Amino acid sequence: MTGYATETLPFREGHVGLVSCGEGAPITYLHGMLGNPGEHAFLKALANSGWRVVAPSLPGFTGSSETNGLRNLHDWVVAASELIDVAGVTGTPIVASSVGAMVALELAAIRPEAFDAMVLIAPYGLWDPEDPVADPFATTLTNQRRMLTADPAASASFFDDVEDMPADLLVEHGVDRYLTRTASAQLIWPIPEFGISDRIHLVKNSVTLVHGAMDQIIPPSYLDKWAQILPNVVSTHLVEQAGHHAEFDQPEEVAAIVKSALS
Amino acid sequence: MKSIFFHLMPYPELPPDFPEEHRSVWVDIDPALYDPEVGNRTYNEYLDELEFAAGCGFDAVGVNEHHSNGYGLMPSPNIIAAALSRNCPETNIIVLGDSVALYNPPLRVAEEIAMLDGITGGRMVAGFPVGSPMDTIFAYGQNPATLRERYHEGVDLIRQAWTRDEVFSYNGKYNKLRYVNVWPRPVQQPHPPIWIPGGGSVDTWDWCAQQDLVYCYLSYFGYKAGLKTMQGFWKKVQETGKEANPFQGGFAQFIAVADTEKEAWDLYREPAEYFFNTCLHVYAGFADPPGYKTPNTVRAGVEGMVERAAREATARSEARKPAGGGGFPKGLSFEEMVEKGYVILGDPTQVAEQVHELATTMHIGHLMTFCHFGNMHKDLVRYNTEMYATKVMPEVSGIFEDEFEDLWWPQPLEQPARRDVPEVPVS
Repeated sequence: MTGYATETLPFREGHVGLVSCGEGAPITYLHGMLGNPGEHAFLKALANSGWRVVAPSLPGFTGSSETNGLRNLHDWVVAASELIDVAGVTGTPIVASSVGAMVALELAAIRPEAFDAMVLIAPYGLWDPEDPVADPFATTLTNQRRMLTADPAASASFFDDVEDMPADLLVEHGVDRYLTRTASAQLIWPIPEFGISDRIHLVKNSVTLVHGAMDQIIPPSYLDKWAQILPNVVSTHLVEQAGHHAEFDQPEEVAAIVKSALS
Repeated sequence: MKSIFFHLMPYPELPPDFPEEHRSVWVDIDPALYDPEVGNRTYNEYLDELEFAAGCGFDAVGVNEHHSNGYGLMPSPNIIAAALSRNCPETNIIVLGDSVALYNPPLRVAEEIAMLDGITGGRMVAGFPVGSPMDTIFAYGQNPATLRERYHEGVDLIRQAWTRDEVFSYNGKYNKLRYVNVWPRPVQQPHPPIWIPGGGSVDTWDWCAQQDLVYCYLSYFGYKAGLKTMQGFWKKVQETGKEANPFQGGFAQFIAVADTEKEAWDLYREPAEYFFNTCLHVYAGFADPPGYKTPNTVRAGVEGMVERAAREATARSEARKPAGGGGFPKGLSFEEMVEKGYVILGDPTQVAEQVHELATTMHIGHLMTFCHFGNMHKDLVRYNTEMYATKVMPEVSGIFEDEFEDLWWPQPLEQPARRDVPEVPVS
C-alpha cells in the first residue's frame, strides 16, 4: 500500500478536502457522522485489498469548508453530485456510511451513473415510529461518542485531541469537530426521513447492506427494512461488536465484506 | 435606570422529588405533572401579579417565550401581553420576546406586535431572541445549523415590514413572500423599540452593537457572574466607535426584599430553592446541540446561560447519586445563591445598594427584576413587589437618567389621543 495523500480542491466559494491511499481500481468512501477519518484503519484495509481509495469530505465536514446555500436535502444532493465530479470519482464503486449513505442513496436515485456498486453502512433515511431512530444530539458529547461506536476508543480520531498540539490549533481542532457535528445535524434534523421510500425504486445499483449489531442510533432491524425496499440488494451483513459506525469498530471485517461484495 | 417587573410564570407545583425522578424540566417534562386546575389558578394569579406591579409604578412589565417548560408557562408571550394591554394603562409592556425563527412566516410577529402597539397606544417593546436550544431546536424542531440564519432573516423581514411604505416582495433564503403588507401598522414610528435577549453569544453582542439594538442578558445567575458577558457586549459597542449608552443594555436579577434582612432570609428561602433546585433541573443533553452556537462563540469558549443551568443541574444530579449506599440529595443552598449574587437579598437599603452596584458595574439602564420566582405565594409576591417599587426604586431610578437618554424606550401617544382602557368598566 502506498501512503496517504491529502488534497484540497476548489469547490463553489470554498474548498473540499480529499484523502486518498492505495493503488488499483478506484473506490470511493463517503464518510458518516464521524467525518472523513484521514489516515484510518478502514481506509488502510480497503487499500490493502487492492483499491485506490478516495475519500472526499462533504461540505462542512472535516477538511471541507462550509457551503452557503445548503437549506435542505435537495441542496445537499446537488452538492454531493458536484462533489464527486470535482473529486473525480464519478461512476466508481462506493462505500458510504451513516449520513453519507443517505446522501449517496438520494443521489443514486436521481443520477444513476453517479456510482457503480454500493456498500451502505447503516444508512439514515427511514423512520419506523414503532422502532424509531435515536436522537444522537439530545445528549452530552460523551454520550454521543458512546452512541457512535461500540468501543468509544474506535472514534478517537474524531473526538480526541492530538497530543502536544499547540493551544491555538487545539481550539481550531475543537471548532472543526463542532462544525462536523453541525453538518451532521443539518442533514438529519429533526427526523431523518425525507421521503426516500417514494424514490427508492429508482436506485438500480447493486447494494450491499452492512449494519452494526450494537448500533445505538439506527436499530439493527433497519437492515431488513432497507433490504425490503431496495430493488437490487446483493447481500446483508450484521457485524457483531460494532456500533453505528461499523467500519470504525471493525475495520478489517467491514473491508472484507466490501471486498467480497465487489469482487 | 428603568425597573421592569419580569415574570417567568413557573409551574408552582412540581413534586419535591422532581430532580430525582425526572430527567428534565424542559423539553420532555412529564405531561402528567400538569394539573389544568393549577394552571387556571396560576395564570390568573400571575396576571394579577403583573397588573399589581404595573399599579405599583414599575416602569414596565415583561414577559417571555418558552416551550415545553415547567418553569415558563408562556409559549405565547403575546397572549399574555394582550391580556395585560388594557388593564395596566400606565405601564409599558416588554415582550422579551418572540422567538422569530419559530414563526412561519415571521410576519406573524410583525402583525401581533403591531396589534399590541395599536391596542396600547404605543407602549410596546418588541424583543427578538434567537431562543434557547430547548425551545427552538428540541421543542420546535428547528435545524440548529440554520436557526441563526433563519432568525436574522426573520428580524430583517419584520423590520422591513414595519418600515417600508409600500407593498413589497421578500425573496429570502427561508421566506418567500410575494406580497408583504403588515396591516395594521405599529403606533410607534418607525417601529417599537427592539431589544435582543441573549444568552452569551459573542456574535449577538456584535450584531446588537452594530445595529443599535438593546442587548439584554437574561441570566439566572446574578450580576457577579453576568459581568463578563456585559463587558463583552460593551467592548463591541466601543469597537464600533459608538457611545456606551447604558440604556442599550439590560440585565435580569432575582430580588428578595423585606423590612429586615433576617425577614428576607426567612421569607424567600423556599421559593428560591424551588426555582434553582427544581425549576432549573435541565437535562444537559439539551443544552448544546451542534450548530446552535456560532463558530466564534465556540472559539471564545463562552458558555451559554441555559448551558450553565444544565451543567449545574447535572452536577447536582451527580451529587445526589448514592455513594456506597449512602448520600443525600444535595442542591444549591439559599446561602450560596445569595453569596454568589443569584439573588439580591436584604432590607430596602441593602437591596438598593446592591442594585446600584449592579447597574454601575455592568453599566445597564434596564433592569428586569424577578420579584416573583419559583413557587412564591401570591401574598409574598405582592409584598416583594411593593417593597421594591416603593422603597428600592426611588433609590435607583435616577441612575444614568441625567447623563444618558434612553433611546430604546416606548414612545406612546400622548393623552388624550391615546385610548387603551375599557370605556365601560366591567361591573
